[in-house]
Amino acid sequence: MGKAQRTFAVALAGVVAVAVAACGTAGSSGGASSGGTNAAHVGSSHVAGAPSWCGRKKIVFGLADGFGDNNWRKITVGEARAEAAKCPSITKFVYTDGQGNTQEAISQIHSDVANGVNALVVFPDAGKAVLPAITQAYKAGVVTVPYRVFPGGKAGVNYDAYISTNFAQAGELWGNWLDKALHCKGNVINLGGPPANTQSLAEYQGLKKATAKCPGIHIIGQTPYYVTNWDPAQTQKVLTAVLAKYPKINAITTDFGAALASSASAFTQAGRKIPAVATEDSNQLSCMRQKDVKTDPQFQLFTVDSQNWMVRTAVDWAVAKATGGKLPASTVVPQKPFENSLTGKPHPVECDPSMPPDAILSSHLSHAAQLKALGQTGFKG
Amino acid sequence: MRSRLRVSGASVPIVAATIGLFVVSAVFEPDSVRHSAILGMLPLAAVLAILAMGQTLVIQQGGIDLSVPGMVSLTLVLVTHYPGGNSSRLAVAIVLAFVATIAAGLLSGFIVSYVRVTPIVATLGMNAVLYGFVLQISGGNPTSTTNALSNFAGGRVGGIPTAVIIAVVLAAITALIIKRTVVGRRFEAVGSSLLGARAAGVEARRYQLAAYACAGLLYCAGAILLGGILGTPNLFQGDSYLLPSVAAVVLGGTSLLGGRGSVIATAVAALFISQLDQFVLVLGASNGVQNLVDAGALGIGLAIYSVPWRRFRRRRDEGGARSATRSGQIGSEPSGSVSAGATVASGSQK
Repeated sequence: MGKAQRTFAVALAGVVAVAVAACGTAGSSGGASSGGTNAAHVGSSHVAGAPSWCGRKKIVFGLADGFGDNNWRKITVGEARAEAAKCPSITKFVYTDGQGNTQEAISQIHSDVANGVNALVVFPDAGKAVLPAITQAYKAGVVTVPYRVFPGGKAGVNYDAYISTNFAQAGELWGNWLDKALHCKGNVINLGGPPANTQSLAEYQGLKKATAKCPGIHIIGQTPYYVTNWDPAQTQKVLTAVLAKYPKINAITTDFGAALASSASAFTQAGRKIPAVATEDSNQLSCMRQKDVKTDPQFQLFTVDSQNWMVRTAVDWAVAKATGGKLPASTVVPQKPFENSLTGKPHPVECDPSMPPDAILSSHLSHAAQLKALGQTGFKG
Repeated sequence: MRSRLRVSGASVPIVAATIGLFVVSAVFEPDSVRHSAILGMLPLAAVLAILAMGQTLVIQQGGIDLSVPGMVSLTLVLVTHYPGGNSSRLAVAIVLAFVATIAAGLLSGFIVSYVRVTPIVATLGMNAVLYGFVLQISGGNPTSTTNALSNFAGGRVGGIPTAVIIAVVLAAITALIIKRTVVGRRFEAVGSSLLGARAAGVEARRYQLAAYACAGLLYCAGAILLGGILGTPNLFQGDSYLLPSVAAVVLGGTSLLGGRGSVIATAVAALFISQLDQFVLVLGASNGVQNLVDAGALGIGLAIYSVPWRRFRRRRDEGGARSATRSGQIGSEPSGSVSAGATVASGSQK
């Protein structure tokens, strides 16, 4: 073999190895057949003993995730599996992970259609970029239900239904709590994700609306939000700069509480106490708060529900439509408060040391199921 | 000795720029150089410095390492998932991380130096493979490191962050090996001229291989500190260090064509980049402005070090002299230009 041929062969082998490694983690099919018997009652629109959304027609169910590799997504997939398991008409559960790659996400939607999926729930991380694939699935007769990230298009034209939530509502819940926690007076820093992401922008709008009732509350620093990319290192850099710039910060709002918990050392370095925090629930942050509040009484915490269970509404809708069951009443999933250290309602701050830091306690999964979803069945807190 | 002086000379712009930046920060935004702000900035600057030192070694050999994100993320996963919060398992996790990153570096180095695959392709492929391991080991879930590592990496010795002390020690050792030992001098010689080094009987490929392996070692050291500083790093934490690591190398004056370089200058450049970020953030500039400032700094660094100004000047002077000769107005040209042209002419005759 000549030198050029040898180089080519090795390069080709390298490319194949890389492709195999990349594919090894992608497109893992759950194949979790819920099994069970289809004990349908004649005259009833749904399977006896199953929820009303579970019709009698046998289907293959698919969940196409645009990105699947963080704790929120893992728990969400666990929620989807648990919901699907309630319906014996689902003969197979197929899960695909686009790994944050738009092209991969698109090709996996196509492959779901080709593989005979009848009902498909899509997390369209890439937004409008995956709309053509969603539309093709819809036009191919697959019940297609995108959720949480708006892909553009219209229900009935590009897909069957879009299951949405209003992130501005989360910002409003934060703002309403801050009005009370700060007695209508104080400086607030708002941290968000990557630049121009719709979630952080909507949360800011809600926050601004709620705090407008209290002229004494000022959202200081960069607006609509400091860009942290939901990255702990960037969050730490931002906090270091913000703490240096502003001697008086009474509260922080952020849509990624775990990154804030990872950046607590910025407060220590600055010799400052952690102020009031309004965010999404995170076991790590809650545990940190429960530990620190003994020496830092200002560290009050309010969280909104992380909504992993939102996928259940999307599953219900897609399965109902495909199997002939009863459609859920609404396609909008409301934001809900979860923890409130001031009132203890609906929950006091919930730290569960028996669960890993990345656990999400607002999830509807049991602890054992959540540990399984997180792949940490051996975790011993 | 001449070589050492030349490298020191190359470090002057970044050292001067860093001092200038701190002066500007103190004048225009004193909050950005407050004691607490500096203490907050330094640990992450130290991490960047260590990672960029690894990148320097590879670039000195005319390569580039795009596997920094994978190396960092794999180390973070190993030092967080393997101990599972148990500090007694940390030592084994650290050994595993060093073994894994050095092995990955050796493999990249082998593919580049012996199989002759372009560094961009080889290290990009390695990055994908490393991320495959990251996802496989972690199951897609980030987790927290042990208290022992957090206390160590986030701690201080005599008021100085531990990460800074480690970065300084690593920079000193690396610089000492490269500048003061036979192996180090050969390492630079191979980077400067592969053919020349081969002609001198130096087994050049070994040095290229060693560059990637040593870089793997430095990436691992930096990532371990990062794990301790952040507590719960995310799985793709390394992604945000690829471009800054290359930027620090460029701003530190290391030639992207290989050869000339200084890890000390790279470490100073890492401090420059970190303080620049902090200064812009404290100023309250938007994210877009921050990116523009970073890009501007990198552009200026490239312009200073990589653009062949001498050649341009030489051409301009030659052109000026020719045009003056043609028009018969040589006497009206500034004397400096004429003499410069004469110098070049005499140089070209040699």
